[in-house]
Amino acid sequence: MSEENKKKQIKKLVTERLEVLPSNKSISIGSEGSFSKEDLIESVERGDEIGKKITNIQLKYLRSLKEGIFYD
Amino acid sequence: MTKLLLITRPYYDITTSYLYHWAGEIIDSIKKKDIQILDLKKGRANKKEFNSITKKKQPSFVFLNGHGSYDRVTGQDGQVIIKSGENDELLHDKIVYALSCKSAKKLGKTSIKEGAQSYIGYTDDFVFCLDQDFVQRPLKDETAKLFLKPSNQLVNSIIKGHPVRKACERAKDLFKKNAQKIFVEKSSGESYLIPYLLWDMEHLVCEGDDDAVF
Repeated sequence: MSEENKKKQIKKLVTERLEVLPSNKSISIGSEGSFSKEDLIESVERGDEIGKKITNIQLKYLRSLKEGIFYD
Repeated sequence: MTKLLLITRPYYDITTSYLYHWAGEIIDSIKKKDIQILDLKKGRANKKEFNSITKKKQPSFVFLNGHGSYDRVTGQDGQVIIKSGENDELLHDKIVYALSCKSAKKLGKTSIKEGAQSYIGYTDDFVFCLDQDFVQRPLKDETAKLFLKPSNQLVNSIIKGHPVRKACERAKDLFKKNAQKIFVEKSSGESYLIPYLLWDMEHLVCEGDDDAVF
């Protein structure tokens, strides 16, 4: 898979995961502020700092699941 | 002998409002104990007051709330309250817990070099989820509670006299327990919270003497 395709796949995966965030919930990310589902998805699509942060958080979680974080 | 606990808690946006109220819960819970609280809240959460009260009273435990970055923690309106290389020597001999983003990465290390006993904080952003319906009543927000309760447990554990290592472990355990509970109860529909709980757990660190006690 090309690097470009890989990035697209990751964006798709992260935005799909963000879709489950209920509309009345926000995520507070430090001094950047609080973000709704729509804000976060937009950030991931744009690839800005918040988008990168959320992507990092989501990918870390998926890796930790693979490593069996809840089964140790 | 009365022990001194210094708390800084600015209040000017949603995040600081949550930290303000949750730190307030600690203040309420320890009123009866043999501990004097120095509460730098709202407008008093500034560098001038912090420098003055730290020098004058020499609290042995400093609990910082507010926005931060690698080398700083801020007070009211995002003004620097403590910064690496500027006034971190004031943390000499103290146990410090910063509920703030990233500060353990640099400020934590420089304050240990300057003689702080131990510095507990986060090496990356402290992230939490909140319920918009409870923004005016942060203590009633069950979603935010999953993130802020472990932090309060850490502080309470130190107040009870446990070594900071133990306090840190307990907070990490509670972050994980909260995540695990949601993971097991798939029907709760809250699985979206898990990545953020594990993120905070992973980035919570203790620098310096982890046997230090208050």
